[in-house]
Amino acid sequence: MSVQLIDRELDRLESLWEDGLSEMYRTYLEAVGSHEPASQPKLALAAALVEIGVRLQGLGGRAAAPPTLLMGDLCLARSSRLLADAASQSVQVAFAQAIERMSAAAASGADAPPARELLLDALKAS
Amino acid sequence: MIGKRLRFETRHATEFVDISDRLRAEVRQAGMRMGRLHLQSLHTTLGLAVNENEPLLLRDFEGLLNRLAPANAGYEHDDFARRFDIAADEPINGHAHCRQLLLTGFATLLVEDGELVLGRWQSVFAVELDGPRHRELAIQLDGQFSLPLQGGAQSDLVALELSRQLLVDPEPVSAPMRRLVEAGGKRLRPKLVQLAAGIGPRSEPLRAAALAAAVELLHNATLIHDDYVDESTHRRGRPTVAAAEGPERAIAVGDYYFAKATRLIAEIGNREVTSTIAEALEAICASQIDDVAFRGTYPGDHDSYLQVVRGKTAALFAAACASGALLSEASPEIVEALRRYGDLVGIAFQMADDLVDFSPSSGKPVGLDIRQRVLSLPLIYAAEDRTVGPEVRRLLAGALGDAEVGRVAELVTSSDALQRVRDEAQKLVDAAVHELETVELDGLRPTLISLAHSAVDRIS
Repeated sequence: MSVQLIDRELDRLESLWEDGLSEMYRTYLEAVGSHEPASQPKLALAAALVEIGVRLQGLGGRAAAPPTLLMGDLCLARSSRLLADAASQSVQVAFAQAIERMSAAAASGADAPPARELLLDALKAS
Repeated sequence: MIGKRLRFETRHATEFVDISDRLRAEVRQAGMRMGRLHLQSLHTTLGLAVNENEPLLLRDFEGLLNRLAPANAGYEHDDFARRFDIAADEPINGHAHCRQLLLTGFATLLVEDGELVLGRWQSVFAVELDGPRHRELAIQLDGQFSLPLQGGAQSDLVALELSRQLLVDPEPVSAPMRRLVEAGGKRLRPKLVQLAAGIGPRSEPLRAAALAAAVELLHNATLIHDDYVDESTHRRGRPTVAAAEGPERAIAVGDYYFAKATRLIAEIGNREVTSTIAEALEAICASQIDDVAFRGTYPGDHDSYLQVVRGKTAALFAAACASGALLSEASPEIVEALRRYGDLVGIAFQMADDLVDFSPSSGKPVGLDIRQRVLSLPLIYAAEDRTVGPEVRRLLAGALGDAEVGRVAELVTSSDALQRVRDEAQKLVDAAVHELETVELDGLRPTLISLAHSAVDRIS
């Protein structure tokens, strides 16, 4: 992903890049090889944003303070828009199902598989 | 084709009864888009006319009828000795029958784009010539009708879809969402989706209801997080999810329905619709961050207010309109006109909502926005006011207990801030209505106009 593209997609979330988002992005980038080359960076960033977003919110743990929650919300929303831009319908659905699974587990106090595992599976949806 | 009767009472011997508004209402109620309204008098002394409703002119008409067929001119019809089968109450009304001959007993009016086609000065009159009496006109509406489902049935479809979706969800998330959904709300966003989805050539009520329900779920998901952020204890008269079940549950429920709604929208399979809603969601979240940031300079200014409200409220109104239109495969001009309409209505809606905070009759505690330091246009205007501004700013800069909140509300109410906001909201509604004039909306314009007005009807 070009620097300009990253800059644009990280608007208001720049501080997260050095705070773990860049590593997550690189991890997911390795998992999107089967997708169209042009859509790979956006898909990887979308997955990274979900992972960091739910972590910021404190989903399944202690609730984040309001400003941090809002940052997490923006991560999820940005991810959703990136998916709308670049993902197939099946990947969009699989991402949503991954978040549904994490949040349903959090609401009921049950364990859910780690976010990364769910999101890597979602990227394999076809 | 729809057949009806229009009934009314007259009060004078000669009377011009303007029935234009009643006919317009019949057209609206029938959802007629294009066609003809046939009108027929069911009496021999009741005529019809299309002319100007100007009181002196009506007196001129009455004078003309008197001169052409005077009441005392001696009519053979009134010579009962020469007639058979006369009723006991047969009136002396030869003049009235003759006058009716000068008018017409039937008329056809055109309907275009859901509106009765009348010139600027034209009104439709039923002309009483032998009153006072009970009168009846036959009406037939012949043409194309807008919605295969009327408003009530459309909202039933959304309610049904919401229930269906909540039924299959895990109880820990569905129970709090069900409470919120069942607590009511105006459901303007789903209405906008459904209306806009009836405009283009591909009108499918079930798909529109699925999208409308998803948009409503998305809206409610954002409210659940908002309530935690704003530390709100009640919404729609019930405890918020955060207040009732804790912030952890609120975050999980909000996330679940954010995800579910985006999934339902993705499953509809229209990429433009998905993008439109996703962009709106991003705008909502970004504006929430701005909203909290601006609280440092509370009450802020008009520009920052508009920036927040455009994202926080108007973005989803605009997206609801645009996505519905996209779903129905409406033209890009219509999609964009509706997007602008939704944006303007959304801002006006938020302004009306701000005013509710200062209305003791609203059912909500007065001054809640002040207490929670929520961006509010009446407060911004009051803070700018030469007379009350200094005290408002001083109070808002300090801790806000009951006394301070009450005093700020009092100052805002005593200034012209509320009226300024009312006027501004009304101008936005007018601008939204103007947007509808630039495109062909296949008969839905009256409903969209009415919906725009209903967005601010809490402030009149």
